[in-house]
Amino acid sequence: MMRLLFRRLLQGAVVIFVLETITFLLVRALPGNPFLGERKLPEHVTEQLQALYGLDQGVFVQYFNYWKGILLHGDFGPSLVREGVQVSELLAQAFPVSLLLGVLGMLIAVGIGIPSGMLAACYRNRWPDALVMCFAMAGICIPAFVIAPLLGMTLGMHVPGLSVAGWDDPLCALLPALTLGLINAAYLARLTRGGMAEVLTQDFIRTARAKGCRPLRVLFVHALRSGLLPAVSYLGPAFAALITGSFVVETCFQVPGMGLHFVNATTDRDYFLIQGLVLCYGVLIVLANLAVDLTLLFLNPRLRSSGAA
Amino acid sequence: MLRCSRLLGLVLACLIPACGDGRSSAERAADEGVLVIGNNQEPQNLDPHKATAVADGKIISALLEGLVRPDARDDTVVHPGMAERWEHNADADEWTFHLREAQWSDGRPVRAQDFAYAYRRLLHPAFGGKYAEMLYPLRGAEAYNKGQAPWEAVGVRTPDDRTLVLTLSGPMPQLPYLLMHFTWFPVPEHAVEAHGGMLDRRSAWTRPENWVGNGAYVPEERVFNDYLSVRPNPNYWRAGEVKNRGIRFLPVVNGYTETRMYFGGKLHITNNVPPEMLEMAASREPGSFCRDDYYCTIFYRLNTTRGPLADQRVRRALSLAVDREMLVQRVVRGAGKSAFTFTPPGAGYALDDGGESARSQGERETEARRLLAEAGYPDGRGFPTLELMTSSRDVQRLMAETIQAMWMKALGIHVEIRSCEWSAYKAAQQNMDYDISSSSWSGDYLDPATFVELWCSGNNCTGWGRAAYDAEVDAARASAEPEQRLEHLRRAERMMLREQPVIPLYWSERTYMKSPRVRGWYPLMLDNHPLDAVELLPSGAAADAAPHSREGGSER
Repeated sequence: MMRLLFRRLLQGAVVIFVLETITFLLVRALPGNPFLGERKLPEHVTEQLQALYGLDQGVFVQYFNYWKGILLHGDFGPSLVREGVQVSELLAQAFPVSLLLGVLGMLIAVGIGIPSGMLAACYRNRWPDALVMCFAMAGICIPAFVIAPLLGMTLGMHVPGLSVAGWDDPLCALLPALTLGLINAAYLARLTRGGMAEVLTQDFIRTARAKGCRPLRVLFVHALRSGLLPAVSYLGPAFAALITGSFVVETCFQVPGMGLHFVNATTDRDYFLIQGLVLCYGVLIVLANLAVDLTLLFLNPRLRSSGAA
Repeated sequence: MLRCSRLLGLVLACLIPACGDGRSSAERAADEGVLVIGNNQEPQNLDPHKATAVADGKIISALLEGLVRPDARDDTVVHPGMAERWEHNADADEWTFHLREAQWSDGRPVRAQDFAYAYRRLLHPAFGGKYAEMLYPLRGAEAYNKGQAPWEAVGVRTPDDRTLVLTLSGPMPQLPYLLMHFTWFPVPEHAVEAHGGMLDRRSAWTRPENWVGNGAYVPEERVFNDYLSVRPNPNYWRAGEVKNRGIRFLPVVNGYTETRMYFGGKLHITNNVPPEMLEMAASREPGSFCRDDYYCTIFYRLNTTRGPLADQRVRRALSLAVDREMLVQRVVRGAGKSAFTFTPPGAGYALDDGGESARSQGERETEARRLLAEAGYPDGRGFPTLELMTSSRDVQRLMAETIQAMWMKALGIHVEIRSCEWSAYKAAQQNMDYDISSSSWSGDYLDPATFVELWCSGNNCTGWGRAAYDAEVDAARASAEPEQRLEHLRRAERMMLREQPVIPLYWSERTYMKSPRVRGWYPLMLDNHPLDAVELLPSGAAADAAPHSREGGSER
């Protein structure tokens, strides 16, 4: 177990290193620079600014200095657009917001998606199945930029306490979390249905039924553990994506999370902020995948015995 | 059962305070005297020497005060600010400002040396001030900024703590208008020096906990992408006249979200109602919907160094074939005025468009076809496919598609549309890597020079430049007589329009929502509202809402 954990962490470190390197090179290959304004800056001003932030040095020197800053000082560098603000400050302020939203969204997704998928699997090819799959397909097809304003205009404007947008009310997280939750619930419902439907046709379930097991016991004790495997595999990366923010949902609900930084940093060419965000996202993805692997090991005894997780 | 009721109780306990007393957050803020205002985007910087964005300027103008301050109703009126009086010589190229006794928010006196320090900092060749050009009217400023002259050669003198003498490179009767721009504001030398010094671009002096300012407000709290709140500065020299108890600036980029937030009771004043929501917004709350003139031109740049665009006749044909009326009505839903000249009318300046607006679009298109045929492309035959570059904003894209169709219909030529995200778009424009590029320009101050000077040779991103044009602009700069100066600018603009390196499309209007509880906010072309003059009426007193016009209202 410890060996597996160590191996996975080592692989994760390599993934993050490669991810950061590619990001570093790509953002510098993009047209434009962080100092572009409405009016063309005089050449000498652009040069002064580039020199100040070390962007006039060779790419390898910049790359070395970037890693040196992180590994030796824990310094992600300054924001090049919001001068005087460190990238770590921006992340520290935005991450808790996205984390809260992501956790709520995931709770909603799991709370709706998994029971719906189980219901559809139990009533396979009958009307509850059709109904659930119909909603799931709608959830997958309708993009967040439609669902978010729709929820804002309907629930946000008319249900007391709910917030149309903004981050100033105690319940302001509900609608953005609901938007994120509904979209992920749709995927989870389909994956759960698929997994459960397959498990429910297997011999050990037939045996359990033949032995006189009650239907609910068959479902929750015998089938659920194996039937959830596809959904659990999906949950890891989905959770990482949720807690690092969604630009569309954050824009529609004016949520000060990571998603806004992600897109704004890219359009503004805020190099260090982009790299900081990608690093943060990479670490979360690696950790979430590790958590999924460990959960799968726990759920599936065959993986444990083969050591193939 | 007991467990269920406990859970229900917990949920209700969470919900009841959230629902509060039924007031929306804007109502609660209004009752507390706090103005909540949409500010378009997250401010990049509160340091007047690093900021360039309009959103930053609005906040900085609330936190710092220059030598003069704006009027709440009229862009052309200036009031004494830090300077209680001033005079200039006959040529209007040497101005002496007498400062009042005023204090920074930490109680230290505001001195003339703080102004000199601010100007030196922005112009310092090692500082990299993006807006240093704004101070180039000072004698020797450009040379100092480029490292070609010492600071002592710059026309800034401080004979004593309360006298500031500015010597300009030429006559400038309009200087007070320029002084309302934040680049001319002072910074507290002692605070800047205490947090890294003059040349430290990463200085922390603008953080709320370190802030020292001389404006009506001081920053209170900042949460990135959420809000920036300010509260009244007790040491401000007009502290007793500040009409509200604070402002919360919300950086809402998306106009749809912002308008929804207004109707959901989250904002008192929005920044922008997008064209698609204009009809809904105006019909839902006609008394709150505002449409103000704005000192801004929407236009297309033409790369005059490329292919057929090097030919003045082609450029003119392209301009004539654009049906501006249709553009204004269909694309921006009436939120603008058709423009055949570049500079918006205002500040005593208006340019006759030579009868262009009086002609029908059919007549203009006939002439456009004739010019194109003269240039060697009858009915568009043989005309190469040009690229029309726009930013990725929806309205820009729609406008490009509309103009693409107009050119195809009227001239038989096809242009490809290239939609780029902002940085790529600006980089391509500034590197002249485009054929036709959508653009806009809003004036930094209320004077036609801020528009006309854009087209001087060298830095206008069109490749166009004429010595005669530059000479007219120089003559305007050298003229102390206001009408003569404007006439030089008119001549320059006429010359530019004859050769058409740009296609003026329309003069923009600002469309936004304003709560009936807001008083003291009037239409201003520069949108530089003195926020300390904005008052929030108590609940129930808004029935006779403030009329939205310069003449309306009773207070001044």
